[in-house]
Amino acid sequence: MISDQLVEFLHGPSFLHLGTRDADLRPAHTAAVGAVAHDDRRTVTVFVPAARAGRALEHLRQNGRVALGAGQMSHEAYQFKGTFLSSRPTDEADIARQEAFRLRFLDSLRQGYPEEIARPLSLGFAYRPGVAITFRVEEIFRQTPGPGAGEKLA
Amino acid sequence: MALLPEEIKPAMQGVIPSDVVTCARDGTPNTTAISQVYYVDADHVALSHQFFNKTVRNVRENPRAAVWLISPKTFDSWDLEVEFERSETSGPVFETMDMQVEAIASMVGMKGIFKLRAADIYRVISVTKNVDERISLGEIADGR
Repeated sequence: MISDQLVEFLHGPSFLHLGTRDADLRPAHTAAVGAVAHDDRRTVTVFVPAARAGRALEHLRQNGRVALGAGQMSHEAYQFKGTFLSSRPTDEADIARQEAFRLRFLDSLRQGYPEEIARPLSLGFAYRPGVAITFRVEEIFRQTPGPGAGEKLA
Repeated sequence: MALLPEEIKPAMQGVIPSDVVTCARDGTPNTTAISQVYYVDADHVALSHQFFNKTVRNVRENPRAAVWLISPKTFDSWDLEVEFERSETSGPVFETMDMQVEAIASMVGMKGIFKLRAADIYRVISVTKNVDERISLGEIADGR
């Protein structure tokens, strides 16, 4: 379901935004730092700081519905929608992945921002301790601004 | 009520994209990056209705939305809980947003693609500074 191109895109570096909602359909946003598309091409793990994970996890345990937006400096953007599967604390391998992500994110932001914005913006997202949230991807949408925005890709 | 503090205004200048999460009536959340959240008054913001049609459809089914913002000056981030009130296609808010959308489009090479269709006005329900989402500037400077 998740193509090679989308795997590469999801691995970033991208702005990552997790969307969830409560039992009353009130939506909530959680910023994420890093994501992994697994070899089955159907599941994704996204990393959120533990201090910010409580609300999202409460929502996900209640209803399972999740949306992950990924966007890059080029304005290319995609959204992955699906169902929550599991969560766990991030481990050393996850943190190493996140630290590599942060440095690549900094490099990407330097293409569009001066250093005084690129550095604090990219490196300023809290990431450890973190929570790894895994979900099954059921739909993928193009969100790049333009005529194809909203197109369902899978 | 004057919920929006003065210190949030730099986060509404369109320097760093914001994000909006909405929810369809069937319970499916949707997240969309937006170029700018506009300060209307201390209790209202406006979101540009350009081409993010799922967001537009969702808030007409279920008016609640969550908006994430970040300041390019302090790098504080904020969560707003908002509720869709109305859509404007003329008037001072629309005209101001139209000019700013044009300016942002020129700056980022999206002229002709970013096009304002309407100014969607939202009432602010709550404002939260996300102190636990950000690493302090001092820690970043220390090389963390």
